[in-house]
Amino acid sequence: MDQTRAHPSHSPSGQCGPALPLARWAGRQLQAMAHDHGLPALAALSGAALMGERGSNNGYTINGRISAGLGGSRLLKTRDGGWFALTLIRDVDRELLPALFCDAGFDGSVEGAIGAAAARFDCAELVERGRALGLPVASADEVPVTPAVEVLMQGQNRGRGPTASYGNFAASPARPELVEGRWRSAGADTLRRAQDERRWGKFPAQFSGHRLSGHRPLVIDLSAIWAGPLAGHLFWQAGMEVVKVESRSRPDLIRRDDPATFDLINQGKANVLVDFASEREKAALIALIRRADVVIESSRPRALKHLGIDAEALVREVPGLVWLSVTGHGARGEAANWVGIGNDCGVAGGLSRAMAELTGEIGFVGDAVADPLTGITAAREGLAALRSGMAQRIGLSMSAIAAMALAEERAHDRAAIDAELRAWGSSIGAPFPHVPRRALQAEVRAIGADTARYLPELAPC
Amino acid sequence: MKPGTRLKSAACDTEVMVIRCADGQIECGGSPMGEAKPADAAPLSADFSAGTLMGKRYVDADGKYELLCVKPGKGSLSVDGVALVVKDAKPLPASD
Repeated sequence: MDQTRAHPSHSPSGQCGPALPLARWAGRQLQAMAHDHGLPALAALSGAALMGERGSNNGYTINGRISAGLGGSRLLKTRDGGWFALTLIRDVDRELLPALFCDAGFDGSVEGAIGAAAARFDCAELVERGRALGLPVASADEVPVTPAVEVLMQGQNRGRGPTASYGNFAASPARPELVEGRWRSAGADTLRRAQDERRWGKFPAQFSGHRLSGHRPLVIDLSAIWAGPLAGHLFWQAGMEVVKVESRSRPDLIRRDDPATFDLINQGKANVLVDFASEREKAALIALIRRADVVIESSRPRALKHLGIDAEALVREVPGLVWLSVTGHGARGEAANWVGIGNDCGVAGGLSRAMAELTGEIGFVGDAVADPLTGITAAREGLAALRSGMAQRIGLSMSAIAAMALAEERAHDRAAIDAELRAWGSSIGAPFPHVPRRALQAEVRAIGADTARYLPELAPC
Repeated sequence: MKPGTRLKSAACDTEVMVIRCADGQIECGGSPMGEAKPADAAPLSADFSAGTLMGKRYVDADGKYELLCVKPGKGSLSVDGVALVVKDAKPLPASD
């Protein structure tokens, strides 16, 4: 089912905007997941809604070279005629502008100063220096250096894990298999399920709604903002038990900055608050991860290490654990240290250049477009990995996913995506397309409301 | 020396980006840092061998100097023989 067409969509208030490019791609991924894994709840979601609900609900306007919404990203013309995307959302990043532009006296508060400074350098030089400085930057003409989706390492199959604790009857616990569109444990027996329903038992026969029976996969969502949490939301829609973990010192910023979007993509998740400065709390979180089937995180490798979490050791040790690492530009090598967020990663994925080739004018495509594309891709890859039973760490690159979605959409219907990009690029000043506001289907748990339940080790004696 | 300059240690693998600086001598492992790496490595001074950490910003007490470590090494940073210290930085997620 196509959620969007190239013609404008109309809202009840009479506003209209061009269709969101790549929403059709998003819709196809949702339909494929629903079909492949027997998950009707995912078929009921619209790609246009998941990609466009933030912009629609907040009344965003298409702003061309300034990103929609808060306007934190901008496209700047460089000396060599390139286009440099720079995102400035934190004050500490503004402190780096003199270094980025090699000018001790640089004052970014002066109108036009950033544009004038960018025009003094070639694009590649700014991108290289910006990335070394840890700024979210991109070039409209770069090619992502990492695959969109990459299995970084594998651990043990869920069916070949340690068996010592399963006694005589469980010498070889079976992994779940899909039988007639339903998850089943091959040779499942009730004794084993009683022993450990969570890891070895029957995967839910029904993902639909919340009438689940048997084992419900446990998802630990350590991610923030939009891409990772959206993947967690899709797992929740698929009927899984999702626990959102937030840091006591640094809760998910979207909770404060955009509560309506926060509620939509975090509804129904349990909420656990962890003080990462406390060794005891970190140990309790790692114990929880060891019980999990899926982990979602979006930290740079250094940050994860700093939190005391060794992803690859956990994947090696916990049979069947699927670890999704959501990154700007890849989870491996030098690119793992590069910062990227939804708007600049869309630029790095070639979307702005593709639009400029059609309209002659460059600009941002969609709203933080690489975020929802990545959330949907992470859910798709996570479901397939979970079904395989094989423990693995999967790296997801937001910029490469944007490039992949564009390439796949072009292959699917070149005329339609070109028409949508042309319409988007020609609609500066127009409101974002209206998408019906999704009603909340479940409670949004207060921050830390479920800490005691999931981290019982922390309960006061 | 301009902000945005990349400096290499003569004594170890450390590389830094200059964010802020004055006219003093920036050193690593006890030896002056430069834009090019010298042919012969300088010895690592025992007094400046605590190591640098990737992604950390290093500052002096007066706030005149700020260096970002873009490649870690065994030496530690100083200006005119006075050690720099790590500035508290806020972690940032890799994605939006």
